[in-house]
Amino acid sequence: MSQKEIDILSVLQAEFKDTSVQVQPEQLGKVAVIADASTHRDVFKALLEADEKTAVIAITGIDLGATIGVFYHIRTSKAGIITIKVEVPREKPRIKTISDLMPGAAFDEMEVTDLVGVVFEGHPSPGRLVLPDNWPDGVFPLRKDTKLDNLQFKQTPPSEPESAGNENIVKIIVGPQHPALLEPEKFALKVEGEIVKAVEPRIGYVHRGIEKAAESRTYLQDVYLVERICGICNACHATCFVEAVEKILKTEVPPRAKYIRTVLLELNRLHSHMLTLGHAGLEIGFETLFQYFWRDREPIMDITEIISGNRVISSGMTVGGVRRDISEADIPKIKGMLTGLRKKLPFYKKVYEDEPSIKMRMKNVGTLKREDALKLCIVGPTARGSGVDIDVRKDEPYEAYGEIPFKLITYNEGDTWARMNVRMYEVEESINIIEYALDNLPTGPFRVRVPRVVPAGETVNRVEAPRGELFYYLKSNGTAYPERVKVRTPTFANIPAFLATAIGSNIADVPPNFVSLDPCFSCTDR
Amino acid sequence: MVLDLWFFFRVLVFPGFTFLFFFTMFCDWIERKIEARMQNRMGPTFTGPAGILQPFADVVKLLTKEDIVPSGAKKTVFRLAPILSFSIIIFALSFLPIDGTAVIPNSSFSGDLIFVMTLITIANFFLFLSGWASANPYGDIGAARVLTQFLGYDIPLILLALAPAFLAGSLTISAIASSQYLPFIVLAPWAFVLFVITLQAELEKDPFDIPHAESEVVGGLETEFCGGKLAFLRLTRDTQIVFGAALVVELFLGGPYGPVFFGLPAFWYFLWFVLKLLGVVVITEYVTCLFARLRIDQVLTANWKVLLPLSVLSLTLTIAVATWVYP
Repeated sequence: MSQKEIDILSVLQAEFKDTSVQVQPEQLGKVAVIADASTHRDVFKALLEADEKTAVIAITGIDLGATIGVFYHIRTSKAGIITIKVEVPREKPRIKTISDLMPGAAFDEMEVTDLVGVVFEGHPSPGRLVLPDNWPDGVFPLRKDTKLDNLQFKQTPPSEPESAGNENIVKIIVGPQHPALLEPEKFALKVEGEIVKAVEPRIGYVHRGIEKAAESRTYLQDVYLVERICGICNACHATCFVEAVEKILKTEVPPRAKYIRTVLLELNRLHSHMLTLGHAGLEIGFETLFQYFWRDREPIMDITEIISGNRVISSGMTVGGVRRDISEADIPKIKGMLTGLRKKLPFYKKVYEDEPSIKMRMKNVGTLKREDALKLCIVGPTARGSGVDIDVRKDEPYEAYGEIPFKLITYNEGDTWARMNVRMYEVEESINIIEYALDNLPTGPFRVRVPRVVPAGETVNRVEAPRGELFYYLKSNGTAYPERVKVRTPTFANIPAFLATAIGSNIADVPPNFVSLDPCFSCTDR
Repeated sequence: MVLDLWFFFRVLVFPGFTFLFFFTMFCDWIERKIEARMQNRMGPTFTGPAGILQPFADVVKLLTKEDIVPSGAKKTVFRLAPILSFSIIIFALSFLPIDGTAVIPNSSFSGDLIFVMTLITIANFFLFLSGWASANPYGDIGAARVLTQFLGYDIPLILLALAPAFLAGSLTISAIASSQYLPFIVLAPWAFVLFVITLQAELEKDPFDIPHAESEVVGGLETEFCGGKLAFLRLTRDTQIVFGAALVVELFLGGPYGPVFFGLPAFWYFLWFVLKLLGVVVITEYVTCLFARLRIDQVLTANWKVLLPLSVLSLTLTIAVATWVYP
């Protein structure tokens, strides 16, 4: 434990010495704080005062039998993850909201309300988030006693009239099917002339209930299930899950496996960033840029194929290591392909930094200030574009990231242009990381045998996915099946950034602003 | 009687409607191929040799599709606007000397340049009407954008088109074309460059294709259209591009006139016209591929603050040049 980490623990211990709040070090992240419905806000306030970078990562709703657990997973720059555990009675699950202290928690609270039925008192916009509008009241999918057959669906409520009140305001529906979105979600823009006045989000169109499905599969099957949460960042989801399982099993992964995992993770990042950089071109009507980027994305998929046998979903991770080794014969081939990509980067960087029409469309569009980014709990390249230097790879190194040198890219402008340039430079860093990992690949085994049955326990884990911090909470109950798998994906955390910056902007600014978050709705909905 | 047949042949077959229709298809194919090759793609390959019949197949396919009129639409305008805008542009094209004389024999009159420009304005207005009549928020916004952009760029376009008129000392298109022993692109290159940029905005091509920005307003004014009406809207756009390129050829590149080596002059004039026109199409397509789409407010600022003063300046310069340098 470093000096900084002891800091927050002693702060909490001093603050809540003579109260009912218990502070347990080295549980569920760095510290687990056991509070109740009357004190959880005080703990959160104490954490906010201790560190300006305090942010809510996720709120897990969990059925504990007699009670419903509400676990607040909080990130601070000084101590990694801190979990505030609160239990509320099953019959009357009510708790005060924290979204007034931290607006970024509003979405998480809505999701908990939907899935386990905890009511957050004082929430600014209570309502359905991931469940459909016609879902029956009082049926909460993630409670263990819920039977999901014979559901009596409600009548779908009538949609409100198009222009309620003001005739000058036109409602433009972006989604669920819209050329600007690659996946189905709905954003209703209220526009006056060309200016956006309000944005109403509605997610949940591709909710597949993966968190529930994970409870009925074995840990090994779950690896392939969570991979399919998101096609592009599949290795990140798999890594995050297997690391959590390994933490409970207390398994040490062989070093060669760590390096191979790192290579697969960075290939994910390359693929995702190249895709977004091209897609942004499409959104601002720059088709040539789009076609160029997507052409140069091809070798990345080819490399993934060389390593894992698949072009997109690599299925490379398994509990205890990786499934396939990288053969020595392939390494020069892979490095040759990466060198080819690296040669093209100066051109792309010049385009993104200096091309006048890109600057006209991206500079000062969707500007998110640093304070707002912190308050809304924004993660990943979006936060780094606003000058918030968070990156799990640096803050809490996992796999081989602690041993590989790389730069953390931040821009202070906070606009769409900054976010895209963060990605542009991260592409180069990723190539560096992969080349370093391939040059320094340790010898030895690439996996260890692990038992199928995982002892009871719970843990949290996070990795830096291409879109930002990806978070898993895993609870095991001593059988071959997990008790609860909670996934918080980066896009889920980043959508508030879009909602905050879109208001007052031009309609034409909405697509580039939105795509600069690199939204992935399959992740968001799960 | 013989004269009448010749008249109908010229208007309906060559160089009139049939030729213009297929030539538009051909230009569309050229555009798609160039754009594809510049973007590392193949472009159309399937229908006909190198996909040359693809635009034609697209039109035929659209004509066979079900034709739906939305219940909220203003039906008469919705039905008529695409056909009217298409026919007006074809009519305007008939005034241009394609093989030495205009498509409609002896139709050229003093001041037909202004007349043709007016026709194009009306055609664009019908495009706006078609979007406005479709009772769809995307269509509304697309239509409003067409009108906003068009109001801005019509004035500079006419001002710039007057530059060749002053150099030639005539407002008749055929007279302007035939007086270019030295093409006006050499005499007034500034006017040519500005005219091509303005035309790009007028034709709603990148970086000015704001009314069609699919990531913002889906199909823009085309959103509610399908079947034959959509085919006519597409044809209108393609014909507009041919018309714009033809106007550049007539005003700045010496029209259809060029060296006649042997045989019929009309054949050579026609050949020169087509080659010059394709050259202009290549230029506009090149610009399209190079830029991102601008925002409507940026386009309007560029128009009123930059392009309008520049076109006035260009007109002044051209008048001065026409008066003193090459009288």
